[in-house]
Amino acid sequence: MPAVQETIEQVRNIDVDQYKYGFETLIETDKAPKGLNEDIIRLISAKKDEPEWMLEWRLEAFRRWKTMSEPTWARVSYPEIDFQDIHYYAAPKSTAGPTSLDEVDPELLRTYEKLGIPLKEQEILAGVRKQGEPSELDAIDGNGGRKVAVDAVFDSVSVVTTFKKELAAAGVIFCSISEAIREHPDLVRKYLGTVVPTSDNYYATLNTAVFTDGSFVYVPKGVRCPMELSTYFRINEKNTGQFERTLIIAEEGAYVSYLEGCTAPQRDENQLHAAVVELIALDDAEIKYSTVQNWYPGDKDGKGGIYNFVTKRGDCRGRNSKISWTQVETGSAITWKYPSCILRGDNSQGEFYSIAVSNGHQQIDSGTKMLHLGKNTVSRIISKGISAGKSNNTYRGQVSVHRKATNARNFTNCDSLLIGNDCGAHTVPYIEAKNATAKLEHEATTSKISEDQLFYVMQRGIPEEEAIALIVNGFVKEVIQELPMEFAVEAQKLIGISLEGSVG
Amino acid sequence: MNLHATPQMTAAEQALVDTYGQLFSDLPGDTAVVVRRDEAVEALKSGLPTRRVEAWHYTDLRRLLSAVPAFDPALQAKEQPALVSGATVLPVLSGRATSVPRVDGVAIQRVFDRLSDGSIAPQLFDGDAVDAIGAINTAFVGDGYALDIAEGAEIAKPIEVQNLHEGGQAHVRFAARAGRNSRATIVERQTGAGEALVSAVSHITVEDGADLTWIILQEQPDEATFLGQTNIEIGADAKLTLFFMNAGGRLVRQEVKVAVAGEGSEFVLRGVNLLAGETHCDVTMVLDHEAANTVSTEVIRNVVTDKAKGVFQGQIRVARDAQKTDAKMACNTLLLTDEGEFSAKPELEIFADDVACGHGATVTEIDQGHLFYLMARGIDEKTARGLLVRAFLAEVIEDLDNEALVEALEEKLTAWFATHG
Amino acid sequence: MLEIKNLHARVAETGTEIIRGLDLTVKAGEVAAIMGPNGSGKSTLSYILAGRPDYEVTEGDILYDGQSILEMDPAERAAAGVFLAFQYPMEIPGVATMEFLKVAINSQRRARGDAELKIPDLLKKVKEAAGTLEMDMAMLKRPLNVGFSGGEKKRAEILQMMLLEPKLCVLDETDSGLDIDALKIVADGVNALRSPERAMVVITHYQRLLDYIVPDTVHVLSRGRVVKSGDKGLALELEKNGYAGIVGEAA
Repeated sequence: MPAVQETIEQVRNIDVDQYKYGFETLIETDKAPKGLNEDIIRLISAKKDEPEWMLEWRLEAFRRWKTMSEPTWARVSYPEIDFQDIHYYAAPKSTAGPTSLDEVDPELLRTYEKLGIPLKEQEILAGVRKQGEPSELDAIDGNGGRKVAVDAVFDSVSVVTTFKKELAAAGVIFCSISEAIREHPDLVRKYLGTVVPTSDNYYATLNTAVFTDGSFVYVPKGVRCPMELSTYFRINEKNTGQFERTLIIAEEGAYVSYLEGCTAPQRDENQLHAAVVELIALDDAEIKYSTVQNWYPGDKDGKGGIYNFVTKRGDCRGRNSKISWTQVETGSAITWKYPSCILRGDNSQGEFYSIAVSNGHQQIDSGTKMLHLGKNTVSRIISKGISAGKSNNTYRGQVSVHRKATNARNFTNCDSLLIGNDCGAHTVPYIEAKNATAKLEHEATTSKISEDQLFYVMQRGIPEEEAIALIVNGFVKEVIQELPMEFAVEAQKLIGISLEGSVG
Repeated sequence: MNLHATPQMTAAEQALVDTYGQLFSDLPGDTAVVVRRDEAVEALKSGLPTRRVEAWHYTDLRRLLSAVPAFDPALQAKEQPALVSGATVLPVLSGRATSVPRVDGVAIQRVFDRLSDGSIAPQLFDGDAVDAIGAINTAFVGDGYALDIAEGAEIAKPIEVQNLHEGGQAHVRFAARAGRNSRATIVERQTGAGEALVSAVSHITVEDGADLTWIILQEQPDEATFLGQTNIEIGADAKLTLFFMNAGGRLVRQEVKVAVAGEGSEFVLRGVNLLAGETHCDVTMVLDHEAANTVSTEVIRNVVTDKAKGVFQGQIRVARDAQKTDAKMACNTLLLTDEGEFSAKPELEIFADDVACGHGATVTEIDQGHLFYLMARGIDEKTARGLLVRAFLAEVIEDLDNEALVEALEEKLTAWFATHG
Repeated sequence: MLEIKNLHARVAETGTEIIRGLDLTVKAGEVAAIMGPNGSGKSTLSYILAGRPDYEVTEGDILYDGQSILEMDPAERAAAGVFLAFQYPMEIPGVATMEFLKVAINSQRRARGDAELKIPDLLKKVKEAAGTLEMDMAMLKRPLNVGFSGGEKKRAEILQMMLLEPKLCVLDETDSGLDIDALKIVADGVNALRSPERAMVVITHYQRLLDYIVPDTVHVLSRGRVVKSGDKGLALELEKNGYAGIVGEAA
């Protein structure tokens, strides 16, 4: 059986079983009451059977959070969030659920159809790392047998992790963070919160207090993780915040490639998603983290959609370590996200490749921080923003070279493309050098799709919307190439879909 | 002013408020002016901006403005020779515009008079929460010059306005209107001696078809704080070339606010920052393209040595109607010491789709290849470095198409390197 | 196949009239050469045939297979079989030539209600056509026209023409930027496409190209109108005497 098929089968089997029995017996209520207080946090911790230190950590974060205020510096605007009007814990129900086609929003189904993702939930899961179109054109081969292990997080809870045994044989731990807290408390305690500290920022602190699940990856010394790891996040419940927490540790000389996919059905209300992702790369280790974010962006009039307030940070703690972020952001009503690298180890490298597509009333404020602390550290930022409709799309990035970071290098390229005259494209870089040996290069451009190019492509019989998608996909190619093949195909299609209706 | 409530005034804030108490009965101004002055002082009382205010992100004025020297009416500065010979000099000596020479085609007035009759009031502080420079200047400004260049006038000789002090405080204001299709070159000198707080605000209006060149040469002493602000509005098919050289001061903030307001207009900014010692120098530009078919180019070159800190914030905003805007900005820095710092924040904020906008920013050390090449020709390292740094800056100066000015500014460059090279 | 009647057209933005009462008929199977001095409206004509939005037709009509195409957008015209080989082919960064060919071919097939071409079949066709034009397959992995030499761009245009199998081919100054060897190869490619069902409009400034693509008819354009028509002999006459005589005669 081909590996991908195998994954599908595994998900299919486990999925149904776990929904039916696993959680039903484990938890009494499937949804905590709305609101946030210490009792809710105690409840979350109790549901997860967490050790005392974990509860204490959460409570401390909550107490800090109460003294903090929401950041206002990003170029996004939204009505005040009532944090007491959110459910902070929801486990998947055993009945109904997203597998029933009738309950899935037709708009979302249409999207899945276009993506070539089968309709049933488990098949949607399969779609996340579905093999791409035949790839003769790109002369890419050898991907046919590639395996992808999946951790699926629905609402607040990780429902399934595949390929666990095979990974365990290689010494790789891949499980939900809840399980890791129970099964590998020493590892979690050693690393959790060391990259994004408790009081880092408003949303991260909130996450620390209330996170319900997420993924945990540990790749031991010298191990090259034998397959891609993937987490699939989905928000189903109404009025439910999703606060996942992901922690990835690559020990000395280890390598792991991790993929993250996100979707949510259409809801009239805005839903809050505030994740924290921490990556730690020790000496000679490499972590590649790819995201295709397709949370529900809201309807044509800007109603509904996900508020995506995410803190992602990688710590190149060891010498010669490398962390690479690649993101394709097409969803969410509001995106507030800056996957960053702390280049602490000498000779460490940080990369940020980003495509951010905004249409309709979407607001994106995203970018990265590259903090050069170690010697001979190198960072590279390639950001491609596409604004259409009435959206606003901001790149915000910081490159900072500290006093002792000799021979630091950065190259930044931010290109923005505007489609139509009701949208905005903004570039806000912060470039800071405190060492004379630093070499920082930043370039940015903003332009529209050239009429000449569009005419040329259409002259070959390609209709306008497809022609635009084709040109845009060319514009973002440099970033698409950084994605694993499975994601690259999906990402290209998503970009096309996101831009639908952008041409008058 | 500070967006966050400040429980207690700093010594400098207190000194500013006290200065107002000391001066205000002697300051010129009708009711409209006094109202603005009072508003400005109220703003100062609520605190100077900190780094939490985005526009002051790299220059925490509240922290950096640690002391404000007292205003001393006894100090009297002397006029200096003009930067280029033959220029008409309009000196402001220790805060007082002392002579109003006649220049054909230009109506010249003292700002003292325009404060007294209130005609300058609309240009004073208007409550903008981040406009600390406008507030300080409005509170204390007593004089300066207002130039009105007649329609079609071609002013051959440069006009040089000088703001000179001998320490203490000096707050001046310049206003210039270049009438339709006029041409002129204006030099603004900012210098003096001793510990000082200097503020200088200019309003420049370039009417349709006019072509104005404005040079700012800032050479404050090492103990001085210089707060400058240049407000510019450019009409249709008009052009403004603004050149500045910052070569002194302990704490310097030079704000440039430009409205490229008329169709077919052009804005050119060229700047050189020579930063040494413990200078903290912040150049902050906000450039609004408000009309279609407009062009702007900005080139800023910085050399940072010793423990100096440099900042360039350049924000280009293109309004929805400003189609076919062509805006390019470059900020290049040579950071020569590990104690030095440079921060750049080149921003694009674009709402029109048919535009070509871009910016580039680099922070580097001297190109090792170039250095090697010169040394291979027998030039010692120190000389070679000097040559390369100088060439890096001279390139920008040479963009000016007035030979006498280029020469005079290059001399300033040489003089600066003689003391700081 | 192509019937242009009293066509008037101007630049949309400036209102400058470029085509001023142009009449032209090209039958199926015919190769019509359009010649004329610089600024006579040759390239504009090609753009208007392909439906470039920068131009406005103010009067007259263009009939293709008896139907007006004025209301059709460029993609619809292309799907109906109108192909323009550009004088200056556009560079499309990031889009591999092969990918572009696939999308274009299948877009047209979809528009016509045909099944999409399977990848192996597509590859086979492309290899064949590229062989004819002596093009390296490796080039097709590169982004379309990006970094191609002038000659490579022109070959790529003809390659697209061969693969898209249009019914009306408009070649705008295809000879410009080609050395003699490349010109022969390109001309061979074009000649191979001549057929009783297909019409060609070959726009050129010089006679040179017509030595290799021999036209059935020659039309001289001046100030946006056809001022003289004839057979291939007219082209030779132009080569010898220049445009001045004919253009002056008409004016």
